[in-house]
Amino acid sequence: MVEAIALAHGWEMQHDASVVVIGQDVGANGGVFRATAGLQQRFGKDRVQDTPLAEATIAGMSVGMATHGLRPVAEIQFMGFLYPALDQIVNHMSRMRNRTRGRLTCPVVIRTPHGGGIHAPEHHSESTETLLCHIPGIRVVCPSSPARAYGLLLAAIRDPDPVMFLEPVRLYRAMRQEVTDDGQALPLDACFILREGGDVTLVTWGAMTTETLRAAAELDARGIGAEVIDLATLSPIDIETILASVAKTGRLVIVHEAARNVGVGAEIAALVAEHGLYDLQAPIQRVTGFDTIMPLFKLEHDYIPGVQRIIDAVELTFAG
Amino acid sequence: MSTFRLPDLGEGLAEAEIVEWHVKVGDHVRVDQPMVSVETAKAVVEVPAPFSGMVTALCGAPGDILPTGAPLIEFDSGTVVGTMPATSEEEFVETVKIGGAHRQELQRTRAVPAARALAKRLGVDLAALQGSGREGLITLDDVLLHNGASCSPGARALAAARPTDGTVEPLRGVRRAMAQSMSLSRDHVAGSTVCDDADIHRWTQRGDYMLRLMRAMICAWRVEPALNAWYDSGTHSRLLVAHIDLAIAVDTPGGLIVPVVRNIESKSPDELRAAILQQKEAAHKRSTPAEDLRDFTLMLSNFGTLAGRYGIPLVVPPAVAILGAGKVREDAVVVAGAVQAHRRMPLSLSFDHRCITGGEACRFLACVITDLEKPD
Amino acid sequence: MKMVAEFKIHHRQILGPRGETLAPLPSFAQDSAEVLRMYEAMTLVRVFDAKAVNLQRTGQLGTYPSCLGHEAAHVGVGAAMLPMDVLAPVYREFGTQLWRGVTMTEILTYWGGDERGNDFAVPKADFAWCVPIATQTLHAAGAAMAFKIRKEPRCALAYIGDGGTSEGAFYEALNLAGSRRLPVVFVIVNNGWAISVPVAEQTAARTLAQKAVAAGIPGVQVDGNDVFAVREVVSGALEAARRGQGPCLIEALTYRLSDHTTADDASRYRSGQEVKHAWALEPLLRIREFLIRGAAWDAAKEHALLEDCAQRVDAAVTEYLAAPKPSTDAMFDHLFAELPAHLREQRLIARRYGSKSSGH
Repeated sequence: MVEAIALAHGWEMQHDASVVVIGQDVGANGGVFRATAGLQQRFGKDRVQDTPLAEATIAGMSVGMATHGLRPVAEIQFMGFLYPALDQIVNHMSRMRNRTRGRLTCPVVIRTPHGGGIHAPEHHSESTETLLCHIPGIRVVCPSSPARAYGLLLAAIRDPDPVMFLEPVRLYRAMRQEVTDDGQALPLDACFILREGGDVTLVTWGAMTTETLRAAAELDARGIGAEVIDLATLSPIDIETILASVAKTGRLVIVHEAARNVGVGAEIAALVAEHGLYDLQAPIQRVTGFDTIMPLFKLEHDYIPGVQRIIDAVELTFAG
Repeated sequence: MSTFRLPDLGEGLAEAEIVEWHVKVGDHVRVDQPMVSVETAKAVVEVPAPFSGMVTALCGAPGDILPTGAPLIEFDSGTVVGTMPATSEEEFVETVKIGGAHRQELQRTRAVPAARALAKRLGVDLAALQGSGREGLITLDDVLLHNGASCSPGARALAAARPTDGTVEPLRGVRRAMAQSMSLSRDHVAGSTVCDDADIHRWTQRGDYMLRLMRAMICAWRVEPALNAWYDSGTHSRLLVAHIDLAIAVDTPGGLIVPVVRNIESKSPDELRAAILQQKEAAHKRSTPAEDLRDFTLMLSNFGTLAGRYGIPLVVPPAVAILGAGKVREDAVVVAGAVQAHRRMPLSLSFDHRCITGGEACRFLACVITDLEKPD
Repeated sequence: MKMVAEFKIHHRQILGPRGETLAPLPSFAQDSAEVLRMYEAMTLVRVFDAKAVNLQRTGQLGTYPSCLGHEAAHVGVGAAMLPMDVLAPVYREFGTQLWRGVTMTEILTYWGGDERGNDFAVPKADFAWCVPIATQTLHAAGAAMAFKIRKEPRCALAYIGDGGTSEGAFYEALNLAGSRRLPVVFVIVNNGWAISVPVAEQTAARTLAQKAVAAGIPGVQVDGNDVFAVREVVSGALEAARRGQGPCLIEALTYRLSDHTTADDASRYRSGQEVKHAWALEPLLRIREFLIRGAAWDAAKEHALLEDCAQRVDAAVTEYLAAPKPSTDAMFDHLFAELPAHLREQRLIARRYGSKSSGH
């Protein structure tokens, strides 16, 4: 996935001179995960800048650059370090278009590694996407494969409004997939159906697509056809695809790594309860991280939901 | 970044000679993947990759002798923190559809969740119930009533003053069918009604109202065929039927029965009389065959035989019209400025305004009236 | 036009790169036992550090930030602080922490992915390792405020890296400390690099110490590889703070001889030449030379010290490796003072699904 991300950067920077990259260690080092590898060599130091060590700076200068002709693609090194940037994101980026009636706009992408599972030090395994999804005026996107990372990042860069692009760190190097570097974007605000099935709908995103697909394979062996939907755009939610699936299956299990309380799964559940209640044959189940601080890595795999928890939740929807 | 040094290969061996590299610079290796063969004093040994990453440098060529602890190979783990899960051997293949899961028209029982749960608790099979909610939705009351239990709390609140004497009469058979078809009507039809009177004082023969009404409807149909149609809201189309299968409302002690006389436009008056009679008898004997109770294209309710002037008869879909005839009576009418007593038949034409215009309905009714007002 | 303000930044050095004495020795430097104590501490942390890197390489420790080259800065600060003072570290200052009583086992436990490493048995009031950059400077200012309000003769000391001085929180902490005259000392360990970004790209300021000027507090630079200078300057700053004279900013110049962490590859962005030159200035060399020159040290003593350090490190490693994996309950312990009811069910779920294997 990380190479697909670098490819997408390269394509868009080649074709749109207003795209610039900023962040800590994104230049000579190519990013701590190599997501921007080779870009500074190719496009120069003006277009690929190492910023001073300050997240508020990165977000704030993105606002300044974006409102004045550039399209910044900014990297926040880890989601755990996003918070100083929230002031700029919430108070300015999200509402610039609205408060100036469209006179000033913020075509910014902020990319950041999301989630845990790589034995990282403290604060490097956060999945607090809910904080962002709650903010009107920004989009929140989370790819789950190299191809989707490529296509959705292109879409995010081309989008005229701010996009928070959360990259599941556990998937950065987990899969090898052929990605054609053809500049084709994938649609934002749309779910991706990774697997079709008629008995239960599994909605998930990010790194949890791995466990969810594994659970679906196991369920298949037991005769339960699971439809796996990758939410991909966490805000705004493509609820139509989910509702259509639930109308077909009658059962819904939502899976996310982030903590349960007010997670994005809660919003999906509320929307399905509002618009698809009579299609449900059983209560909606959520399989999520616990409402605890993300533990240090000795316990991270006890925190991150495993395949068995997903299977058990599906069984619950059949137990009545 | 990682420089992996030649490990102690056992028994204090101080050095080893590189025999063959199995990886090259730029390769992505997985942990435990064999990287290099080295020869010690004792044997040729495979050295596995200590972790996953990309090879950035080989620190020796075949034939080089390295002491234990010397740099052997360098990796880029591609991260400044943590350990990346190893890249899978196989190509990641997926078939993905973008959005657009389509709602399928599945014949699944739609029930309010509370009803579903109650049904399960009471052992009631939902499939056996007819839902009284919109589009056949099974409600809590459907389950409760099916089970003979009293109303749901909400209804209970409304029925707080329910009389304690009286007989409970469950609706079965035709009464139940009427409840369902009227619910269907309520759910879907945009009903509208136009009323008028036919002045029948010039009739040469009294009685035979049914036949005169049928003839009048046939005449009107020839002018405004749209009222003899089936409406399909799904495809937004109306099927103008080339014949008339007229459903006639018959009131029986057991309830409302609506048998169908087919192809009335092709039958002679005698044939029609015979058919009407036959259906009425069968209705009273409760022997109307099932196929005579369905697939009508137009409906007639001569409720005037009992009482009532005008009404708002209900259109039963997929048909789009119903003519109601009220009680014939002597009315005071004004003719050339003077009041006269004329026998008149009140008429009420209900139509489905989703697909029938007021103009079509009124023209239909006008024709009915014109024909009815003829002497014979 | 008249001059309304100007500033000077001084640079303090006592020991030269080969241990030569460049300035009068402070009293502690004339006490050979004290000097030996500091040298032993610097040696211990270097041996420990190398071992920690090794453990990471063999998969027995998580990502680890080596402190190679920082020993003088860290031990000098540790030796200057009083036990009742409070340390707010970043994540690399193991020399200071070991001096103050944090154990090697605790350090390994934390970097081995277990929160129990943060539960220091000895310096109970010290802050834990702080990963979100510069946030600790405000914590130190706050602790200093508490000391001031409660009229305790205690100081807080916060570390920060060169990169960290670009963060807003750093400026805010200096400003607060200055405006309220708080008993806090800020020590910038300027090791030249913030992962791959050199200091020249962090700021246009000629020294980092001069950021103190904007906050209206004294700022001084010190040779961070000179343990005598570091201890002297930090002691002086702490004394002044303790006397109510307010905060101070100290910039210790040193070099990050290692990669940023065990997963970083510094050769991607800096030259081997630069690292080689930095080795010539490294801190253990100069104090060792000083001791040898003073006939207080020799090869045999060095060997014995290294042996002793190796044993102590090995004992800590053994203790660390022997510790059982925390149970899933650990996620719920200490979440609040008392676990709210709705979390009890989650605790049960976590137990049910708890993975059997230790670590991953």
